[in-house]
Amino acid sequence: MLKRKVTLKIFLFLVLADVLETFHQFCFKKSALFKKDPPLTGAYDLLVFFEVVFSSPFFWIGLLALIMMFILWSTILSKIDLSVAVPIASFSYILVALVSILFLHETITLLRWVGIFLILTGVIVVSVSSCERERP
Amino acid sequence: MKEGQVFILGLIVFTGLCDTFRELFLKSGVNSLDEVSPDNIKQVTLFIFKLIRTPRVWISLFFGFLSLFIWLFILSKVDLNFAFSLDSMHYIFIAFAAQFLLKEKVRRMRWVGTLLIVLGITLVTLS
Repeated sequence: MLKRKVTLKIFLFLVLADVLETFHQFCFKKSALFKKDPPLTGAYDLLVFFEVVFSSPFFWIGLLALIMMFILWSTILSKIDLSVAVPIASFSYILVALVSILFLHETITLLRWVGIFLILTGVIVVSVSSCERERP
Repeated sequence: MKEGQVFILGLIVFTGLCDTFRELFLKSGVNSLDEVSPDNIKQVTLFIFKLIRTPRVWISLFFGFLSLFIWLFILSKVDLNFAFSLDSMHYIFIAFAAQFLLKEKVRRMRWVGTLLIVLGITLVTLS
């Protein structure tokens, strides 16, 4: 049986994968939100939508970040359980909140702080649960 | 609720399921190979070459791209926060799937952590 403990190194790689994930989401959003609220009528709309997405440079930069993330994420999965890796990846929500505080000077409501605290607690609890498995 | 909203809601649940399948097939493919260190470039290169020859990974990629394109489509239609808060439920799908299909030992503590995260994401995205 392989060791599946979350070490600090694995955790940092997970955070790096998160940064790539957030960046690719940002790029993809940039390429998809070309106009607000287009009418939803049918399959033809979908075709037009994809045509616009594919012609955006943001889409291709985002795709590159996605490929890097795929490589990193697969190697992380070779080390730890899926039911540990996926919850820990929710750390990206905390990263996004930090970015909006530090760089976008957004105000964070109390409810949002509570949410951030819950995510952080959850990440710690899940990480500790991966260490517990080692015991016989 | 309008018909369009029900359609979008269905799509969000569908992408959650696609994401779950993506992770399941990827993890199952990765499990068939040896363990690697993410900081060993040589090992990682070899690992990725072996990995992309695993059929399960292609199934995973199929679900990944399917979910990605539908997700982009959703983002252009509805409020971002609403979409993200509903997306958090795929953490629960993953925990179930890991336990019953990958035979990972998801004990009470991991469930508690996962549920805290889902609750946290809901608060962060909705407020």
